[in-house]
Amino acid sequence: MAHTSVGEVHVFDPHPLNWLFITWNTMEEPVRTDPEGFIVMALAESATWRDDRTLEVRVREGARFQDDEPCTADSIKQNFDEVQRWAVPHPPGTYLNFHPDARCDVEDERTCVFRFPEPDGLVLGKFRGFHIASPSFWHTHGFGYKRTGSGEGHW
Amino acid sequence: MLEANHDHNTERQARLARVVFRNDLTPAEALEAVCDREGEVDIVTEVSPADAKRVQSSENARLVTIDANRVLVGIFNQWPERDVPLSDRRAREALSLAVDRERLCSEVMDGYATPLASLTPSWCNGCFPGAQPRGRDTERARALLADAGWPRGRSLSLAAPASLAGVARAIAEDIRGIGLDVDVIEVADEGLIAGARTLIEKKLVPPWDVLVHAWFDLSSDLPPAVVHREFFGSDGAFRAGPPIPEFDRLFRDLVSCIDSDEARRRAEEIDRWCYEEAAVLSLCAPQALYAVNRNVEFKAYRTTFELADTEVSADHWSRRGTARERAGKAVAAPAG
Repeated sequence: MAHTSVGEVHVFDPHPLNWLFITWNTMEEPVRTDPEGFIVMALAESATWRDDRTLEVRVREGARFQDDEPCTADSIKQNFDEVQRWAVPHPPGTYLNFHPDARCDVEDERTCVFRFPEPDGLVLGKFRGFHIASPSFWHTHGFGYKRTGSGEGHW
Repeated sequence: MLEANHDHNTERQARLARVVFRNDLTPAEALEAVCDREGEVDIVTEVSPADAKRVQSSENARLVTIDANRVLVGIFNQWPERDVPLSDRRAREALSLAVDRERLCSEVMDGYATPLASLTPSWCNGCFPGAQPRGRDTERARALLADAGWPRGRSLSLAAPASLAGVARAIAEDIRGIGLDVDVIEVADEGLIAGARTLIEKKLVPPWDVLVHAWFDLSSDLPPAVVHREFFGSDGAFRAGPPIPEFDRLFRDLVSCIDSDEARRRAEEIDRWCYEEAAVLSLCAPQALYAVNRNVEFKAYRTTFELADTEVSADHWSRRGTARERAGKAVAAPAG
């Protein structure tokens, strides 16, 4: 982009959510917050309600993971499906959980559609905790999948 | 150690090539390194108000502050098994009117906090219009406490984790001013997990009347989703009492709304309910404080610790000297 990455800083962060801050500084989510705390698009280029149970998410064009894999609608679905299997996917609180019967369908390379069994006006806030990892992450590390068969509790 | 992803294709590509999280220091060592030296620790998060002056007077560091999406409140124990009437709004309002929030913010928090009216900081969506923190009114507090039937001679048990003991002591002093004695229970670190478990599982009645508790929000958009729900909701971790049908109805109305303007109005309605019911002992919104070493530009966010905007000048230690010297420094500082 317009600037190069230079220099190194050393950080001491004793916050109990340090692990989560590292995650947020390492992975992207469909949305993030601006400095004032308001939600803005990140990995998602747009998120549009088709009706009160159907949310269309367009993935940002040209998004790539750190390992150079492209990030597509399939990546969103893969991460959604993996984490939906967990009973308690978010240690900070159940407010980040999607409805257990929610599903994600891929319509094209950059479009996925979330279908909820009931309206969920809080879903954009939940996207804040919806970390999207490269396929190789799930094939190798996957928050402990390889070791324990589940990533539950290994954020 | 985190390394920049040079293929990131937005303006948010990291300004820094590397970030090293150090977990081999104590908070005191980290503060000393950032204040007294250069090139060891560039950013220290969670600086306490008590340490702010030291940072401000340092030659090597400056203090960066922000009104953060954090709340400090007292949870009322409203389980009917308790022998005090905290399920009665009048008793809760009495305690709320006893507290001097301005003094709490200026003296205990050293000015690094904002008084709260309800549960939503004024800079977030969903703070109800006209929200003003309750002012201290000891006469009305005494009358309300008597009307609620507080048992004669029964002191208030006020619990707090050790890290918030100073806040608890200040509140206790205020409450004693309305003629109610207060026992402060300081919960040691080793007792925090058991205490949290009691509160969250709701199988046992917690052994306190009011618990001083800190919480946070991950965005500024709809605080009830993360804050109010946790304190009052049917599945709220911090609800200390039976389910609250009125709150659950208001929250369902919020969840069912996908229009952002209408959702904001419904969030305000929830925050107003919390104020009118004195549903928590609203205290203050603490600021987030950072100590930042020289030649580092750090942008604080209201919500989380973000580094994408952080950059260093050409005079920064990591950009001076030879590559060999820089490599030597990196080796000397183990990754977190």
